[in-house]
Amino acid sequence: MIPAEAIAQHALANPHWEARLALEYARRAERTVLARRSHSGPLRVQRDLYPEGEGTCHTIVVHPPGGIAGGDSLAISARLGPRSAALLTTPGAGKWYRTHASAARQSLDFEVSPGASLEWLPQETILFDGAVAEMKTRVQLGGDGAYTGWEILCFGRAASGHRFASGLLTQQTEIFSGDKRLWAERARVAGDDPLFASPVGLAGHAVCATLLAAGREIPNEALAACRDVPGGEGAMCGVTRMPRLLIARWLGDAGEDARRYFTALWGVLRPVMKQSEAIEPRIWST
Amino acid sequence: MQATADYALARLLQLASPALPVGAYSYSQGLEAAVESGVIHDAATAGVWIGDALALSMAKFEAPVWCGLHAAWSAPDYEGVRSLDERFRTTRETAELRAETLQMGYSLRRLCLELGEFDAHSLGELGSMEEIAFPTAFAFAAAQWDIPARDALVAYLWSWLENQVMAALKAVPLGQTDGQRLLIRLGGSLSAIAKAALAEDGTGFANFAPGLAIASSRHETQYSRLFRS
Repeated sequence: MIPAEAIAQHALANPHWEARLALEYARRAERTVLARRSHSGPLRVQRDLYPEGEGTCHTIVVHPPGGIAGGDSLAISARLGPRSAALLTTPGAGKWYRTHASAARQSLDFEVSPGASLEWLPQETILFDGAVAEMKTRVQLGGDGAYTGWEILCFGRAASGHRFASGLLTQQTEIFSGDKRLWAERARVAGDDPLFASPVGLAGHAVCATLLAAGREIPNEALAACRDVPGGEGAMCGVTRMPRLLIARWLGDAGEDARRYFTALWGVLRPVMKQSEAIEPRIWST
Repeated sequence: MQATADYALARLLQLASPALPVGAYSYSQGLEAAVESGVIHDAATAGVWIGDALALSMAKFEAPVWCGLHAAWSAPDYEGVRSLDERFRTTRETAELRAETLQMGYSLRRLCLELGEFDAHSLGELGSMEEIAFPTAFAFAAAQWDIPARDALVAYLWSWLENQVMAALKAVPLGQTDGQRLLIRLGGSLSAIAKAALAEDGTGFANFAPGLAIASSRHETQYSRLFRS
């Protein structure tokens, strides 16, 4: 961990972080290896681990400053070669602080080759009051490549009574299969947006979470099992299935409740998406 | 001049009428699930749901995409039509909402192909699309009949609104006078929505309505239901 004073001093001397991380995975015999990695700025791979055998590389992506402020930009890309499998996660919540002059940006760019599987299962994203955040996710699937990803957005910090009263989130997610677009969503949520209170929006909740499982047809039994997973006390949830896509949505008040719900769904979906049981990364329980 | 305007008005009323054979009356777009869960239980809560769906979802995405479709059919820019049509289809939040727009688009396209009204080249383009969303087919007919974009968009939004209020009348249920009051109040916002949608350059598009998407997802397994969405 970097002490808070060091971050503050660095921020004064160097107000904008430009961070990039590019990962390339390849299948070598039975093992998925992280064949290439390059980074610039404060984004890196903390560890690559194999808790479930050689076939799947678990990768912990860290952003040592611990928070994202105005003018910062984070770009993460991952390319999965044929038949490789990787699970990417983060060691803690992503914190987006109040921005002043300029927006903070994040782009995720994922490419999944035929026979490969990518899982992007980060811990929650917290948007502090006053954050102006632009997030873009683009997933390109080749052949029967499979992608499972989730995003848990916490607006403000509900537990301590801090609302997302000002600021702006714009978020764009697109999934392509070959040259066809499978799905897209664009959110634009301002501080104190009428969407927060509206029953068609966040219905009074502060946490909005979405899970996407793309690239495989989800069988009826798995869909029914996903629908049986309880969302938890006080939360709302729903699961739908479209061609080669399952979407689960959750609204509630605590990021860890969303994570619990999605982890249970992931347990149901993983045998369909990558023919193996879900093994939770240990970092989630530390 | 007046005769031309009257012709366009009559065609517009025809397009926006519940008598248009596309089956709109069989869809509630999640409203029936919101009644089931208790979120909608009277005229006031029905007004909040429908008004918010209009202002926070339709106005932010479907309306500006519709404007782009009308402009593309009018140009004509068939690549533009295909791109916006794909964009609309792939942003449907749930299986039911996707099935709804595809079924209504299919029905309206078939009608357009059978009427013998329109320019053969544009009909060829319309017929060659693999799947088609409802706003794409509606914008086609409006453009072919030379109905001005703003009038046609207000009528498109009106037919959506009327259909939602009719769904609330059946599902809640509400009285006819309550329904007419909702139409007067919410109908009053259509002009401003259409104006903003026509001015939209694409940067403000947003199709984010998680409460609506969850209601629609839950409707897919709702035991007792009158509507197909």
